Amino acid sequence: MLLSSVIIILREVLEGAILMSVLLALSSLRGINLRWSLISLLFGIIGALIYAAEFETISTWFDYVGQEIVNSTMHVIIVLFLTSFALLYQTHEQSYTKTKNTFMIIVVALTIVREGSEILLYFSGYLDKSDVLPSVILGGTIGTGIGMSIGALLYYSLTYLIPTHAKKIAYILLAFFSAGMLAHAVTMLTQADWLPARHILWNTSSWLEENSLMGQLLYAIIGYEATPTATQLTAYVIGLLLLLALPKLLEKGITIHAKNK
Amino acid sequence: MINKFNRIIFLFSLWVTCPGLVLAAPEFKIEIKNHLFFPSELTVPADTKVKLRIFNHDATNEEFESYDMNREKVIMGNSQTVIFIGPLKPGDYEFFGEFYPKTAQGKIHVE
Repeated sequence: MLLSSVIIILREVLEGAILMSVLLALSSLRGINLRWSLISLLFGIIGALIYAAEFETISTWFDYVGQEIVNSTMHVIIVLFLTSFALLYQTHEQSYTKTKNTFMIIVVALTIVREGSEILLYFSGYLDKSDVLPSVILGGTIGTGIGMSIGALLYYSLTYLIPTHAKKIAYILLAFFSAGMLAHAVTMLTQADWLPARHILWNTSSWLEENSLMGQLLYAIIGYEATPTATQLTAYVIGLLLLLALPKLLEKGITIHAKNK
Repeated sequence: MINKFNRIIFLFSLWVTCPGLVLAAPEFKIEIKNHLFFPSELTVPADTKVKLRIFNHDATNEEFESYDMNREKVIMGNSQTVIFIGPLKPGDYEFFGEFYPKTAQGKIHVE
């Protein structure tokens, strides 16, 4: 019981921990006060409690695919605000700090709502089982601890690097994270039959299994998928381009516009 | 002439992009009791989108999870849910209950 709860909680915590540490690193590299992270944590936990409490009703929506629709909507919102944050971060180094903070709060809070509600739904099954409850709670605490340690390690490694390199690496990590989020949203819509189903393109599980430790870590960081479909791949590429190409294109547009003036 | 050609192209692309959209997906039933799947092995047709209706008769929540099929979904205690899978190539695809992985194990056999 202990081990399985460590794994379940770690899997849920990891994604949020990595996102938060990358955003924290990007913030401290630009001298942004890190207080936004506490606000996002607070909103995230409140949101997760509400979502978990309403989960039974939401699950029955749209002929029992409400879960997929709400989750994928949250993922798309995360991607949209990550993209907006990235655009501001790249084009306006020192200004719009408040807007950047708001965008980061929305993105992290929604990630916590999504993962936190699953943790709550898992724990709720053990509340009246006093014989196994202590080991489930202990396992959950260990899992949370490991997840946060990985996040802290990532944050300190990034801030330890030369700032220009750190910014680049953190930004690229953010782009891959966002792409993974968009691909996951598409997977959920396919699972709900709101998007056409497709055969898988390739299977890399013999090379790296998704449920291995490394596979899980890569899943949390870059959205690693051993058996992607064409729909997922398309979403992934779009997600990457939104963060990696869009700011550059806009910047070019702005320069040309300025020159013409 | 061009009109007819366009119509053929349109119908062809519709046929390519929307497989199984016209035909309703065949439905299969899986039940969860005492953290076990019934049936734990299910045979479904190849290259077909399939609708799984899962009933959780336990009081506790469960999460249907499959790495092989890219699926994950929480099923609340004493309730039912729907998951679409496929189209899949012939073979075996494992699934499990993430909240009770020691006992809740199953396999989709595609042929």
